[in-house]
Amino acid sequence: MNPASPTPPPHFAEILNSLGHPRNAIARMAWMVAICGLVTLLAWPLHKVIDPANVAMLYVLAVALVALRAGKIAAIMAAFLSTALLDFFFMFPRFTFTVGDVQHVVTLAVMLVVALIVGNLTIVLQRQTVAAVERERQAHALYQFASQLAGATTLEQVNNATRDFLHQSHNGRSVLLMRGDDKLLPLEPSHHLQSELQSAAAIAALRLQQTRHAQEGNDYWLFLPLHGSTYVRGVLAIDFGDAVPATVCAQQALYEAIAALVAIAAERLHFVEVAQRTQLQMTDERLRSAILAALSHDIRTPLTVLYGMADALALAQLPAAARETVAAMREQALRLNSMVSNLLDMAKLRAGNIRPNMEWQPLEEVIGASIKLLGDALAQHPVKVSLPADMPLLKFDAVLLERVLCNLLENAAKYAPPASSIGIGARVADGFAHISVRDTGPGFPPHKLGKVFDLFERGETESLVPGVGLGLAICRSIVAAHGGEIRAENCGGACVTFTLPLGEPPVIETEESDD
Amino acid sequence: MSDSAVILLIEDEAQIRRFVRKALEDEGHQVLECATLAHSMAHVHESKPQLAVLDLGLPDGDGISFIRELRTQSALPVLVLSARSAEGEKIRALDAGADDYLTKPFSIGELLARVRALLRRNKAENSAPESAFSFGEVQVDLVRRQVARRGNLVHLTPIEYRLLCAMLSDAGKVLTYRHLLRAVWGNAHSESNHYLRIYVSHLRQKLEDDAAQPKHFLTETGVGYRFQI
Repeated sequence: MNPASPTPPPHFAEILNSLGHPRNAIARMAWMVAICGLVTLLAWPLHKVIDPANVAMLYVLAVALVALRAGKIAAIMAAFLSTALLDFFFMFPRFTFTVGDVQHVVTLAVMLVVALIVGNLTIVLQRQTVAAVERERQAHALYQFASQLAGATTLEQVNNATRDFLHQSHNGRSVLLMRGDDKLLPLEPSHHLQSELQSAAAIAALRLQQTRHAQEGNDYWLFLPLHGSTYVRGVLAIDFGDAVPATVCAQQALYEAIAALVAIAAERLHFVEVAQRTQLQMTDERLRSAILAALSHDIRTPLTVLYGMADALALAQLPAAARETVAAMREQALRLNSMVSNLLDMAKLRAGNIRPNMEWQPLEEVIGASIKLLGDALAQHPVKVSLPADMPLLKFDAVLLERVLCNLLENAAKYAPPASSIGIGARVADGFAHISVRDTGPGFPPHKLGKVFDLFERGETESLVPGVGLGLAICRSIVAAHGGEIRAENCGGACVTFTLPLGEPPVIETEESDD
Repeated sequence: MSDSAVILLIEDEAQIRRFVRKALEDEGHQVLECATLAHSMAHVHESKPQLAVLDLGLPDGDGISFIRELRTQSALPVLVLSARSAEGEKIRALDAGADDYLTKPFSIGELLARVRALLRRNKAENSAPESAFSFGEVQVDLVRRQVARRGNLVHLTPIEYRLLCAMLSDAGKVLTYRHLLRAVWGNAHSESNHYLRIYVSHLRQKLEDDAAQPKHFLTETGVGYRFQI
């Protein structure tokens, strides 16, 4: 809660203010004449009892009053008028300006000097009082502004508070510009800077991290950088309209303080947002891994049961028709398993929480493992592997690359004509190993060559060949995680080529022969 | 049946237990079912099984620490059932002392083959060591330290020969990179998997028909190798 803002005690100057303040020069002169006249009228009946030197005291009081109410020039004139009135009405000979006594000359001279000094002092004092009141008012307004900013929960609220405060207290129109990359974007799209000059000044304030002034037509602008702890978060532009530039410049420190308050609020909101986002991400990640783990366990268990049971049945003595059904069940369970694996892998790859376990190894080995893993799926398609004899070791994650090769081989087996062979080849060029898998099938539809690696994209939309179009998308993700590229071509059938960076394989010391 | 054995099946899913039990019983084995790790250790002591089939994802505890504890008391062969894409888990289980693993979903044929291999190995360990091996077209004479393929002598370097022996002695079993590196090079190279891969590829080139599609020196991707006769 805000502490109750203290009401300032009623001030002497304010009491006087309540009497009304003469506005223009004529009114001030009238005031001056009236006060002097009033003193003369009041003192006149007493002229026989009071010494003129004492009447002079009354006039000094009058001058002080005039100084307080009507300003410097009126005070000086009041001093002279009072001296003249004292001489004219209260000194012998009366009703003339002639001074009869030398002593009276001293009285008049001293009175004039004293009246001038008192008048001046009064004015200085009054100015200081007014300035102090003004400073206090500003401090109070700034305090209220600061507490408003402290309670703001969005940048919009900060913007509104700033706009209202500057409008009410400083008669300025503010535009809050936040930094986006290397540009400045207005927080409210409708409140943007209207001219090139203004934009240039705002950018200059951002880059130089200094307050910039700009005058355009009748408008005087101030551009204040919002200093954050690490970088300038934006610029507060204030349009003072036709205010006198000197007044604005005199208050520059105050405006910079206002900009500092806005900057602190903006930075606080920024960090709150960062903290919230991080926490959300962490929760998100934890939830996602939990779901993935649960899914992979809960889906695999019934799949294992299904597959195992079909497999057990296949071993039994069954009539031919039933045997076929059982074989199909087994095959479908396996296919479902491969789809689930693909989906889970894709989810993991998409979430970015797969860190490839990169090791130097021969390509030949992972190719062999993939062919072995596919087993029956490749029964109709002999795989011909032709690798150069001097194929260097490559750095990759064997499990992930096995997945790539299995998906490519499975795809090739799906589309290749029965009993045709599938080829795997590799060559080294331009710092990369280029590995390709090709079949002699119909190839990819030419208009889709560039898109086959997109998620859920398939060669033929309504193809008879089963699959969810996930396999190639996973291949691309895995190859990209290794720093390579993958592309599809048609060269007498479908041909998918992916690259892996070569790098420098570790040196293997050759063994000394023992013969 | 001379091959019949008592097999402890530790698995929480009743349906998986059912078909695995059926398959093993059809082979003439006696099966003890157990749904929790807590009861398993008691079974090991009471019933003296010859083999344990263990699901790593049991709800009541960590299968790997169970294996470790088991190894302090018994040499009982352990066949682990685990999910795909859990290579780290497989390696930990094997290094803790498991003998082999099967990835879910697995075929009955594969399961029975693994069980047979483990039971046979167990028996072989209790009899005199063999002096000669043969697989495919390759004959290995362990006494003369000679390897021949199609009747012709094949020259192997000392490391290649040591690696071949290490794999032969655990034929049928998955051997982790770490296990093989220790067996052939000692502890110094236990992190240099690429050494092992290079030498396995040498053996394949010298002893396999098609090194890219090996029939004996099989790759267990992300885990290690398996030698299959």
